Amino acid sequence: MAMPERSSPDVEQARSRLLKKVTARLARAAAVSFWVMVIAFGLIRLAPGDPVLARLGAEAAPEAIDRLRHALRLDVDPATQFVEYTWGMLHGRLGTSIETQRDVATIIAESLPVTLGIIAVTLAMALVVAVPLALAIATSRRPWVPYLFRATTSVMLAIPAFFTALVGLIVFGLHWQIAPIIGYEPGFPANLRFLWLPALVICTHLVPVLSRVLHASLVQTRGEEFVETGIIRGVSRLRFTWFYLLKPSLAPSIVLLSYMVGVMIGSTVIIETIFSLPGIGRSLVGAVINRDYPLVQGIVLVFGLFVVAVSLAGDLLANWLDPRVGAT
Amino acid sequence: MNEGRIGIAVGATMLLTVVAAGIAVPLLSEFHPNELVAIPFRPPSREYFFGTDQLGRDVFTRVFAAVHRDLGVAFLGVSIPLVLGTAIGILLSLATSRVVAALTTSLIDAINALPLLVLAIALIALFGPGLQSIVIVLAMTNWARYARIARTRADVVARMPYIEAARLQGYPRHRILLRHFVPNVSAETLAYALSDVILVIMLISGLSFLSLGAAPPTAEWGVMMSEGRPFVQNAWWMTIFPGLALCWAGIGLSFIAEGLSRRERGAGE
Amino acid sequence: MSLLTIENLTIGIPRGSAAPLAIVENASLWLQPGEMLGLIGESGSGKTMLCRSLIGTLRRRGAAILSGRITLAGTDLAHTDERAWRDIRGRRVGYVPQSALAGPNPVMTIGAQLREAILQGTPGADVPARARELLDLVQIRRPELVLAQYPHQLSGGMRQRVMIACAIAGTPELLVADEPTTGLDVTVQAGIMQLLRDIRARLGTAIILVSHDLALVDDVCDRILVMHAGACVEAVPAHAAPRHPYTIALNRSRIELAEPGTPLVTIAGQPPSVGAWPPGCRFAARCDIAQPDCRLGPHPPMRGEAHANACLHPERAA
Ligand SMILES: Nc1ncnc2c1ncn2[C@@H]1O[C@H](COP(=O)(O)OP(=O)(O)OP(=O)(O)O)[C@@H](O)[C@H]1O
Ligand code: SF4
Ligand SMILES: [Mg+2]
Repeated sequence: MAMPERSSPDVEQARSRLLKKVTARLARAAAVSFWVMVIAFGLIRLAPGDPVLARLGAEAAPEAIDRLRHALRLDVDPATQFVEYTWGMLHGRLGTSIETQRDVATIIAESLPVTLGIIAVTLAMALVVAVPLALAIATSRRPWVPYLFRATTSVMLAIPAFFTALVGLIVFGLHWQIAPIIGYEPGFPANLRFLWLPALVICTHLVPVLSRVLHASLVQTRGEEFVETGIIRGVSRLRFTWFYLLKPSLAPSIVLLSYMVGVMIGSTVIIETIFSLPGIGRSLVGAVINRDYPLVQGIVLVFGLFVVAVSLAGDLLANWLDPRVGAT
Repeated sequence: MNEGRIGIAVGATMLLTVVAAGIAVPLLSEFHPNELVAIPFRPPSREYFFGTDQLGRDVFTRVFAAVHRDLGVAFLGVSIPLVLGTAIGILLSLATSRVVAALTTSLIDAINALPLLVLAIALIALFGPGLQSIVIVLAMTNWARYARIARTRADVVARMPYIEAARLQGYPRHRILLRHFVPNVSAETLAYALSDVILVIMLISGLSFLSLGAAPPTAEWGVMMSEGRPFVQNAWWMTIFPGLALCWAGIGLSFIAEGLSRRERGAGE
Repeated sequence: MSLLTIENLTIGIPRGSAAPLAIVENASLWLQPGEMLGLIGESGSGKTMLCRSLIGTLRRRGAAILSGRITLAGTDLAHTDERAWRDIRGRRVGYVPQSALAGPNPVMTIGAQLREAILQGTPGADVPARARELLDLVQIRRPELVLAQYPHQLSGGMRQRVMIACAIAGTPELLVADEPTTGLDVTVQAGIMQLLRDIRARLGTAIILVSHDLALVDDVCDRILVMHAGACVEAVPAHAAPRHPYTIALNRSRIELAEPGTPLVTIAGQPPSVGAWPPGCRFAARCDIAQPDCRLGPHPPMRGEAHANACLHPERAA
């Protein structure tokens, strides 16, 4: 038998095609990140009126106004500002909070883990519920099951998360007293006690979306010819479910999930406020109410870059799981 | 097909009841929404259907006085980005300059990458809280979603054979644009707008709930829920009834949107 | 002692309280170990349905065995539950599905699929050695490369060879190949046919080969079973002269096709469609020699041993 042909032309070609694809995707992520930077930067500068006056009030002393203007570097020309901003950002400097005089990067580093914790618990919960649910509905033979599924998920998606959160607080926190209403304790698994209810609340939106997309692609996969091959080969039920149903259906759900992480970040802002969790979303609300522009700018930047990174990771993961995605 | 029609019927009924109540209740109610009508924290009774709030205002009157505000702002908050985004998307698809198109596209991607709520909150830091600011902020951000949809659709339309035929027959450019692109593309963005209304209603009430939207004493669902929150243990009606009204309207819209998309899919098959 | 016997098999679609819709009616066939049987008939005649009953995938298409018997070397295949099917599929019956181009699992490498088929066929087998052996058998060169590839990276012919390799991984006694060459170009077709003959010669596997093409089947098979509108009408040894008017017509159209210059003869008319079968012989409407008694009673059954024929008037057929 011939020696393994490591660098045959086909393999080379396939590899270079993949490389090109990944490079293009990275370039897109870089372009989007750049705009995210610009948007975060432009937030203060594009404001109608004077952000300094807006914060200090019209009757503030002129020296105080000048001092703040200087602290925000609004007294130099915008191009210099942008260069300074970019340069600082590349070195991890995001400025100083006006309100607390603390380093913005430090504030974010403190509160980001809480938010990531919420997202992680939510994702785990949503997957545990949505995957079996979608499978069960896609394999059910009863005709009313999909109708019920669509109606129920429509209802769930129309109920705002902050209402669910309040009801959850009343029921689990006040009535049954099985969830803490306030406070937080960092570190796994101590934080789970505080995170499960917020995560459950976000799941009331994430599970419907995720299971719908997964259900749709399962139904599509189910009708494909190769599914029959699995039966014909006599593979076990477990193998069949994973390799012939779920795995070929996952790519769209993963892409969606990486997009939903962005949407989830949006809901964490409200959820953190309601559950008094010291996450980055609550910091944002506080910063907005105090007109703490450097902090707002830093948080928007971090959120944006995080979303870009997650969606990049999602695309690459989908590509890796399902080679058809990369082929077309 | 059938399922779609049922969804639309149920959804439209739900939406119409809340709109009708929003018109009728403020007209017929003996109370003004901001009037102190009784002692505070009266539970729901035959006199005050939804109870009274911490100031002694009638929650029932306030819940329905809020309808026109929440739905009206949502309508504005959706229609402005819809028109703006559809136009930008079509223009982008027809743009001859590659650089402009590429730059705008990545700007659109960047706006869409930022969670709408985060961006909206950040912009409210600039414009100050208020329903007006929400409409402005939505116009500034949400157009990007419509532009993305419109552009994708317009690219498809541009490749359709009949457009080519119209061009070859020498129809003027603006006529092709108005007769073919605009209706075809806006059908798509309108469909998205319908489901977007739900998100925007949630955004408006959510921002108000965070004290970034409407301010007390305005009768608005998010404001009312936020006012009720400290008293949720004893005066649950202050929070639950505005919340239920919000859900009711949202579910109605959701059924209509779902029904329409079902019907469309059924017709396509 | 034959390997496979099908007796009076009726396959149909149960329709609740209404009578089931028959798709294949009273089909009978037998197959010797190592024999190669061609199964031909027009599109919709029920070839695939008949094959599916041999691998237990009727239910997926809403169909079921309504009556009759299938025996594979002593095992009853007509009344087998899902658990027992797992021991038969891949081990005793290998199957190459009709849409072979879409057959391989798109999210598994060829190596993973072969591994799966090998372990299902022979648990505990030495997978790498067996995989090479199988790829060698189906004449795939550069196995190391192919094993790491995904189906979409392979040509149609290669995909079909892989599907065949998977189907014979467990050295089944019976291999069912449902139109294994549709969608492939002619030279590739010939290669696949040669491959099936090789497999039969080297492994002694009995093969059922489904096709539309009488000439092709006549070339490679030992016997041919002809189906028309859900019924078996003739079982004729290869190279023997056909006796059923339908087969004769098929054969004639093929001969005239082969002679350049003569107009293309196809069989006039359409076979009656499922659910609209007339009484009597279902070929009557298209038959030149049909007699009044042809249109009465149930469809005539095949009679005869070595060369079975369902025509009521074989002496009239030219
Ligand atoms: N679920 C079903 N309901 C009704 N009719 C069906 C169903 N499944 C199959 N049939 C019919 O059964 C008949 C036999 O189908 P089958 O696939 O066995 O034909 P075939 O001989 O393999 O044809 P081809 O050469 O096109 O593959 C066809 O007429 C088909 O329309
Ligand atoms: S049975 Fe009658 S109709 Fe049928 S093939 Fe023979 S002669 Fe023709
Ligand atoms: Mg077939």
